[in-house]
Parts: sequence; structure tokens; C-alpha cells
Amino acid sequence: MSRRGPQSSSAAKPRAAEAAPATTRGEPLPGNAHILVSGLGVRRADRWLFRDLNLAVPRGAFVAIVGPSGAGKSTLLACLAGALAPGEGTVQIRERSGQLVGPEHCRPRIGCVFQRLLLVENSSVLANVLCGRLGRHRWWQTLFGAPRAEREAAFAIAADLGLAPHTHRWVAELSGGEQQRTAIARALFQEPDLYLADEPISNLDTYLTGRVLGRLRQEASQQSRTVFCVLHDPTLVDRFADLVVSIDPTDPHGWRVRPVRR
Amino acid sequence: MRPPASSPAPAPSSPPTPVFPELPWYRRLDALSVSLLLFGLAIFFSLPTLRGSGRDLDYWENARRFLARFFPPDFSVTPQVLTALAETAQIAVLATAAALVLSFPLGLAGARTLSPRWLVTLARLALNVTRTVPSLLWALIAVAIVGANPLAGVIGLTAYSVGYLGKFFSDAFESVDLDVARGLRAIGASRIQAFQHGVWPHARPLIWSYALWMLEYNLRSAAIIGYVGAGGLGVLLHGYQEYHAWDRFCAVLVFILALVTALDLLGEWVRRKVTKRAARAPA
Repeated sequence: MSRRGPQSSSAAKPRAAEAAPATTRGEPLPGNAHILVSGLGVRRADRWLFRDLNLAVPRGAFVAIVGPSGAGKSTLLACLAGALAPGEGTVQIRERSGQLVGPEHCRPRIGCVFQRLLLVENSSVLANVLCGRLGRHRWWQTLFGAPRAEREAAFAIAADLGLAPHTHRWVAELSGGEQQRTAIARALFQEPDLYLADEPISNLDTYLTGRVLGRLRQEASQQSRTVFCVLHDPTLVDRFADLVVSIDPTDPHGWRVRPVRR
Repeated sequence: MRPPASSPAPAPSSPPTPVFPELPWYRRLDALSVSLLLFGLAIFFSLPTLRGSGRDLDYWENARRFLARFFPPDFSVTPQVLTALAETAQIAVLATAAALVLSFPLGLAGARTLSPRWLVTLARLALNVTRTVPSLLWALIAVAIVGANPLAGVIGLTAYSVGYLGKFFSDAFESVDLDVARGLRAIGASRIQAFQHGVWPHARPLIWSYALWMLEYNLRSAAIIGYVGAGGLGVLLHGYQEYHAWDRFCAVLVFILALVTALDLLGEWVRRKVTKRAARAPA
């Protein structure tokens, strides 16, 4: 069933390593890669979406995930977030201390922009953005709202995405694009080490698309925060990404990792 | 049916015309139509209960004579009624508040999406038992324990309200889409934080509107539990009934009606305000 034998699939790691010079940091790999995916495979119903997926991503890289609908892009993100236990293989994330841990052990440092957004619709934009930092505090510290400094920081990020007039409006009252920007603001406010964004621009116009992806690009380049982003538009991939992971819906071993040459 | 095997396959321009998929009669039987049918049968078999006492009574004349004694209402008792009305309202407010506090943990325990199965079974059983006992009986039990005073009314109505509110709260928690809370968990929130920020904002408007409904219900109940001595308007109602002072009885009813209507309107207004939806969003 596989095109390539197991020995050739292990050659995938050097392939990802080749990508290292294309990244902004250019760190040697996979010795101190930020994200290490090895032998990852996920079964959906009766077929494998992908198998033997190996990936070593340096800190501060912008990784685009591409592939047709139903290929398993969101599933890959769910595995990286630790929300889905893979059928085989492992996902490891290197902490700032150098230690490798599973994603379920560093959730406060993983920022997600979900495809379905998963915002709290009966709360204000500000309250939703503030939710980004829940993981930093104990529950009794967030019981009666966030301190003023945090509220102002959350507002600054929301305002940067053009949400200032909607700060105190309920998310349920916003348009799709405004809701999407709220979800992105929540992830940005979290200041995570790793962004997992599932089609974060699907409801945004050209101007806002550039603004959002530019902001994520900036997070990667300037703050050394790794970004995984599901994207469809090849020109955006070329413009913003360092690495491209493509998933083939017809062949579980058909995934590819390639650097973007600029 | 099929084209002859010898003919070449037709061009993909002519797909076969789909046949309208007619449902057989048994496939059209869903839960709604079956239960409607059963309800119709139940009506038919319940009709024999309307046989009356067998005596030759003039129903209309009886009704006219009895109701005529209610009018005009005698508002000379307004000061006593207002005092009792205030006490009734106090009983209702305290009972609703106590029930809210008690129902919150019970509602959590009874929500199938949040609690383990054994706890749900236990909590729902307890709530069902509580609801089965009528509020008047709860008041009677409370009177037997703390004596004939408004405290008995508060205790009795609290017990009864917990049965309802606990069930409503469970349903409210179950109606919340937990994916939002799971999303918050995925970005590092603890269980309690995910509940407070991901579940509670969605359940809150429902719970508050149920609470207002319960307050209105308790106001009406508090008017009747005085019949067993648990304070409030019921004491007056009972007295007026004993002395056949139906015009005064009617005045009390008018006050209850006014209070309940006011609360209903207020509750409706608050409910509309707290359950904002995207559909009604201003442009």
C-alpha cells in the first residue's frame, strides 16, 4: 500500500532538515528543532489520512499546511495541539528550557485559531481576547476578571486588528470576519511559543489578510514564535511561509515538506 | 432498462433522470406523529371521566350564582392585603434565592455533558422526587417542623423550587456547546476556567430567565401556601373563604394578578435583553 518502503520514509527527516537554511533562524536540525514530529499517522474511519509523517521545524519558522479539503490539515493541527491522540507516532515540542515534551504538557504556550473559531459568543470581544491568557493564571485569579493592565493589553491587540469599535460588543453580534479577527486576537494576546492557525483568513478581505498574516509572520521572525497555518492561496504561501507541508488525500504517504525559496 | 450492451456508452451529457424517492407510509411515522396519535387515543379513553355526579344540577345557574358573589371586589381590605402581599413577596424572593444557590450544584451534577453517569442518575432522581411532592405538601411538612409562620413558607417553597430549578439548570448546562470550553482547554485553561469562561456565559441567560420564571411561580405559590399556615396572602384567602367573604377574596386575587402580570412583563423584558442573538444584531 505504500509507495515508499519504511527505509525511504525515514529519509523524510533529512528532507525537512534541508529546509532549515530557508527558515529565518537557520538553526541546525533536528538537534534543537522546536517541533519534532516523528512517524505520525492518523486514521479516519477506514483510511489513513497520513502516515509516517516526519517533521522538524526550527523555532520561529512559518509553516504553511496545504492540501485539498478533507486531506487532514485540521487533523494534523489537532495532533500538534495535543487535542487528538494520533494513531501512531509522536509530536514533541521543545520548551524554552530545551526539554522535549508532548503538546498536552505545554497547552498555555500553544495558541490556536480554530477553524470553527470556538469563541464565547455570549461574551464581549474583550472578554474573549482575555481568555487567551487563562492558562497563565490559576482559576481563582481569573474569577473576578483580569487586572487593568491585561485589559489594556488585550484592547491594544484587538485595536490593532481593527476591532476597537467592537471592544464591548458581544461576539454573537459581530460579522464573520470580525469574529475571526477576535479569534486571532485571542491567540496573539496569549503570546504562545507556537501558533496553530486553521484557515485564519477565510473570512477576511485582501487588506486584512495581509495584515493578519503579516502579524503572524512578524511573530515568527521577531519573537521566534513558530507558526503553523493552513493556507489555500499559493501566492500567500509564497509570500509568508518558510516551509510548506502538503498533504495528499489519495496517498497517506504522499505528504511532502518543501522550503519556500524567496 | 439499461441500454443494450452493444451500444457505446452514452456521452456524459445525459445523466439518468432521478426518480422522486417516495417514502412508504411506515417511514413517515416519526416520534411526533406516533406520539400525536397516542395522545389522540388517550383523549378518547379519557372521555368517560367527564360523567359528573349524576345529580340533576343546573351547572350554569350554579356558576352564575357563585361567581356573582365575587363582584364587585371589596377593596376596603386593601391595607391588610398589601401587608400580606409584602410578606408573600418576601417569602417568594427568599425561597427563590435559596433555591438558586442549592440548584446550582444539583444542576451541575444532573448535566449529562458535565458529570459522570452515576452522579447524573442520582441527581436527577433526587430532583424528580423533590418535584413529585406538591408545594402545598412541602409547606405542610415545613409547618410541622418550624410551626405556622412565614419561615415555613420559605422552607417549603425552597424545597419545591429546587426540584424545578435543578432540572432547568441541568438542561441549560446540557444545551451549551462544549466545543468552546474544549477550545479554551486546548489553549491552557483549567477545568474551572473553561467552565467559568466557556460554559457559564452561555448558560447564564437561560439560568437567569428560569430564575425569574421561578420567582413568578413562587409568588403565586406563596399566595396559596398560607392555607396551611405558612404565611402570606394565603392566610387572608383562607379566612375570607371561611367567612364566605368572596368579594374580599376577589380583591386579593386582583392584587395577585397585578403583581404576577407586572413580574411577567418585567421577566419578559429582561429575558429579551439577556439573550441577545446575532440575528437581532444592529447593522
